[in-house]
Amino acid sequence: MLQYYEPEKDYGTPPVQSSEMVSANIDGVFIEVPAGTSIMRAAALVGIKVPKLCATDSIDAFGSCRICLVEIEGRRGYPASCTTPVEEGMQVQTQTPKLAKIRNGVMELYISDHPLDCLTCPTNGDCELQDTAGEVGLREVRYGFEGENHLAAEKDESNPYFTFDPSKCIVCSRCVRACEETQGTFALTIEGRGFDSKVSAGGVDFLNSECVSCGACVDACPTATLTENSIIEHGKPEHTVLTTCAYCGVGCGFRAELKGEQVVRMTPWKEGKANEGHACVKGRFAFGYATHPDRITSPMIRDSIDEPWRKVSWDQAVNFAAQRFRKIQQEYGRNSIGAISSSRCTNEEVYLIQKLVRAGFGNNNVDTCARVCHSPTGFGLKTTLGESAGTQTFASVAKTDVAIVMGANPTEAHPVFASRLKRRLREGAKLIVIDPRKIELVSSPHIRADYHLPVNPGANVALLNALAHVIVTENLHDAEFIDQRCESEAFSEWQAFIADDSQSPESLEQATGVDPQALREAARLYASAPNGAIYYGLGVTEHSQGSTAVMGIANLAMLTGNLGREGVGVNPMRGQNNVQGSCDMGSFPHELPGYRHLSDAATRALFEAEWQVDLDPEPGMRIPNMFDAAVDGQFRGLYCQGEDVAQSDPNTHHIEAALGALDCLVVQDIFLNETAKFAHVFLPGASFLEKDGTFINAERRISSVRKVMSPLSGKADWEATMAFANALGCDMNYQHPSEIMDEIAKLTPTFHGVSYSLLDELGSIQWPCNELAPEGTPTMHVDEFVRGKGYFAVTEFVPTEERANKRFPLLLTTGRILSQYNVGAQTRRTENSTWHEEDLLEIHSHDAQERGINEGDWVGIQSRVGTTVLHAHISDRVKPGVIYTTFHHPVSGANVVTTDNSDWATNCPEYKVTAVQVSKVNEPSAWQARQQKFDRRQHQLLKQATEDA
Amino acid sequence: MSGQQIEHLVSMANQIALNFGEKRNLTEAARKTGEHLEKFWTRAMREKLSIEAADSEVPLSPAVNLMLEQQRGQIGS
Ligand code: SF4
Ligand code: SF4
Ligand code: SF4
Ligand code: FES
Repeated sequence: MLQYYEPEKDYGTPPVQSSEMVSANIDGVFIEVPAGTSIMRAAALVGIKVPKLCATDSIDAFGSCRICLVEIEGRRGYPASCTTPVEEGMQVQTQTPKLAKIRNGVMELYISDHPLDCLTCPTNGDCELQDTAGEVGLREVRYGFEGENHLAAEKDESNPYFTFDPSKCIVCSRCVRACEETQGTFALTIEGRGFDSKVSAGGVDFLNSECVSCGACVDACPTATLTENSIIEHGKPEHTVLTTCAYCGVGCGFRAELKGEQVVRMTPWKEGKANEGHACVKGRFAFGYATHPDRITSPMIRDSIDEPWRKVSWDQAVNFAAQRFRKIQQEYGRNSIGAISSSRCTNEEVYLIQKLVRAGFGNNNVDTCARVCHSPTGFGLKTTLGESAGTQTFASVAKTDVAIVMGANPTEAHPVFASRLKRRLREGAKLIVIDPRKIELVSSPHIRADYHLPVNPGANVALLNALAHVIVTENLHDAEFIDQRCESEAFSEWQAFIADDSQSPESLEQATGVDPQALREAARLYASAPNGAIYYGLGVTEHSQGSTAVMGIANLAMLTGNLGREGVGVNPMRGQNNVQGSCDMGSFPHELPGYRHLSDAATRALFEAEWQVDLDPEPGMRIPNMFDAAVDGQFRGLYCQGEDVAQSDPNTHHIEAALGALDCLVVQDIFLNETAKFAHVFLPGASFLEKDGTFINAERRISSVRKVMSPLSGKADWEATMAFANALGCDMNYQHPSEIMDEIAKLTPTFHGVSYSLLDELGSIQWPCNELAPEGTPTMHVDEFVRGKGYFAVTEFVPTEERANKRFPLLLTTGRILSQYNVGAQTRRTENSTWHEEDLLEIHSHDAQERGINEGDWVGIQSRVGTTVLHAHISDRVKPGVIYTTFHHPVSGANVVTTDNSDWATNCPEYKVTAVQVSKVNEPSAWQARQQKFDRRQHQLLKQATEDA
Repeated sequence: MSGQQIEHLVSMANQIALNFGEKRNLTEAARKTGEHLEKFWTRAMREKLSIEAADSEVPLSPAVNLMLEQQRGQIGS
């Protein structure tokens, strides 16, 4: 869907929801709109454009510029159309000689303090001030430029992505309001009064201000005052393509704005239902990695990892890999090879990987990186509610009265959702934060959590049980909902368990570390909410009882009747863009697409008929099983697509031993990632800009990813997998990813109705989408649960074996930061590193003092399995006894210290709890020194890569 | 490394049994653990657990022990 570049239509004021309709007449045109709609918007809806400057439809009207005045029959004066709602029977004129005169006068004043350099201005041709001057017919400016003006005001170029040029500012305050209303950061103000008033980022430059670089102010600015540097450099785009962000699980819709095949800007798509025109610094600005010089664009092979790479043709590379894989199977058996796919890839791509494994390798050794993040969500929600997915839309939060945010940090990891949540909180909704760390939501401008329960790492289940205990014993539960919607026998058993005094906040205080009184009050608040919603993240799943905690969350929601309508629900915040989709596509070793277990002969038969093969009914290996078996010598060939296991998986020493033991490691990625340094075959990957496909976000929303530039390597990832499959004799012959989606839809009941044409028509679709729900399903479990009756699982608290003791007295937990994404392969290759150059160790002043550690010191972090060294950052965000770090840089080696403890049900690693000791040191660890040496050596081998004839 | 691996398998099986409420209802936990392994473990892992469990330095939890006994009983009968 290539389209000429046009700015998105701006209706001037936001839409209004109302069941009452009012009608009026504007310039002789009959209109009917929901009551409360502004005259400006009503006019725009029927194609009548009222000039405007201070209004834009992403923020509430303000009524300051006075250019949008209209005449209303029977009313005195000239009301502003942006702030005046349509009333029944109104007769409105938007163009009269009198209005023209007033507008001309207003415009003249604005322009008298504005540079007249339109021809050389970066937003020439895409500027509302210019357009409006044209609309009002401004022909001369009588007031000279010699008087007092702002034309010499200095530019602020501190932000790497946009420039603030105050000489062009008309002080319409759209930026200030966008920062408040859309983003919720409150970084900007209008300083001074009258002529002296100006936009200020809190008295400092943008980079050193509270600004989080979301770009909302840049979008809102009607002039060239706030402009993307890419536009300043390249000029206005000439066409646009709609696509979906490839970073986090919010899945924002974007307009890729291009000149030829060069992306000059990504702007958040207003019609995108996940983001409704908002974005964060990653999706909005950090796309430059796609054309970074580090990209590897040629397939490469080598016999051993001590040899230089040989650049070869695609055919040579896939044949080399296929021969190796077949030889391994001949020698070590069918189960000696497998594949790992990535949640960063499209649905179509991960579907092909699992098909290749099941139909081509002849086993079920396929897993996905969701293993290490949200596999407990799959298990826990399937067990209790019957479907491995979140229950709501993001928009649902606008109807929430009490939100619980547990083990998630939305302002850093899911920023666009965080903005929605913050808006609702500013409207008065209550907030309970359950997190060992004082995350930003606990206290930030205009937001304060009503309760912060700083649970000890590893005690989530105890805390959830205590919450449920209070609700049950204080009779705050929704007995009618439970009676009608849940299995009564399971509920009775669970009730007896939870009501026992052993589950009370007081009995569990030692484990949770949380004040029982605060916990009781928080439980009452959630239980008494008309609409209570729970949002959770990896701080829930990445534990030895991750699955149990997810079931505990589902129990709480069922207990209080908070499921099956808007404003409520159980909402897993998925980390990567396509975690939901990769799970939906049958990427786990025990199930086929649509979460159907391999042991189900009828489902197997469907796939067997389509693929013309016999399928193995036995579950295959999970990622950790593959690594164990590799170290053991039984697993010898791995195809790793887009996933950097050497950096992202726990216990690095073990992973490195496993990768080093493989006879053939095939890595498909856009960069030489850490895993690729152990590889024998490198298949160059394609970024999301280079391919067609779909992603599924945390709301089960399927959104289109569209190719905006040709794959640098000549093949999109689905084509590379297909070539590898064909080399293995597993025939695949798709001409376009839409054909892969057609196959998925044919074989998967929850996707029966999905097609690329329906996606084009509707913009996006939340599955299930089938005969029963032809346009998808925004809210799940409305009248009954997918499993029929909801199941209360008994959630016994089993403390992790990873406990603090004398030798390892501190608990290390991990998290993310806004500007970086996961292992950082993409964001580290953009200007986002301006904000986060290295991972730091956050430590409470008490623990630091005890060890003589000062801000910025090197500190060694030692666990049972390894040691790494980071710079210290003293912070009261963590409590004494808990330390925290991010994991975005390979050299940090956060996973050198994490252990291979894992969730009992799914083997999701226990990243969030590692018992450690820290001490002041003078230099990086031995592992870090080795890592850097290995890294240098592998880059040398890459540089020495020879071209095969 | 096989020696290490059986300990690892036993520890994982023990965790599963514990989380299925071994302390509340041994037979039920043994049944659910068996089902869970059937559903999520590879055949090779299940066989290894069954064959090498006796050599494990990590002791089998009561429910895992019961589960394995029952399985052997079934195979034997
Ligand atoms: S970029 Fe976002 S956070 Fe920064 S000032 Fe603009 S709206 Fe506010
Ligand atoms: S920077 Fe732009 S949006 Fe902000 S007040 Fe100036 S002109 Fe308006
Ligand atoms: S990273 Fe997430 S929140 Fe940011 S633009 Fe992309 S999808 Fe949206
Ligand atoms: S657009 Fe209405 S007053 Fe500015």
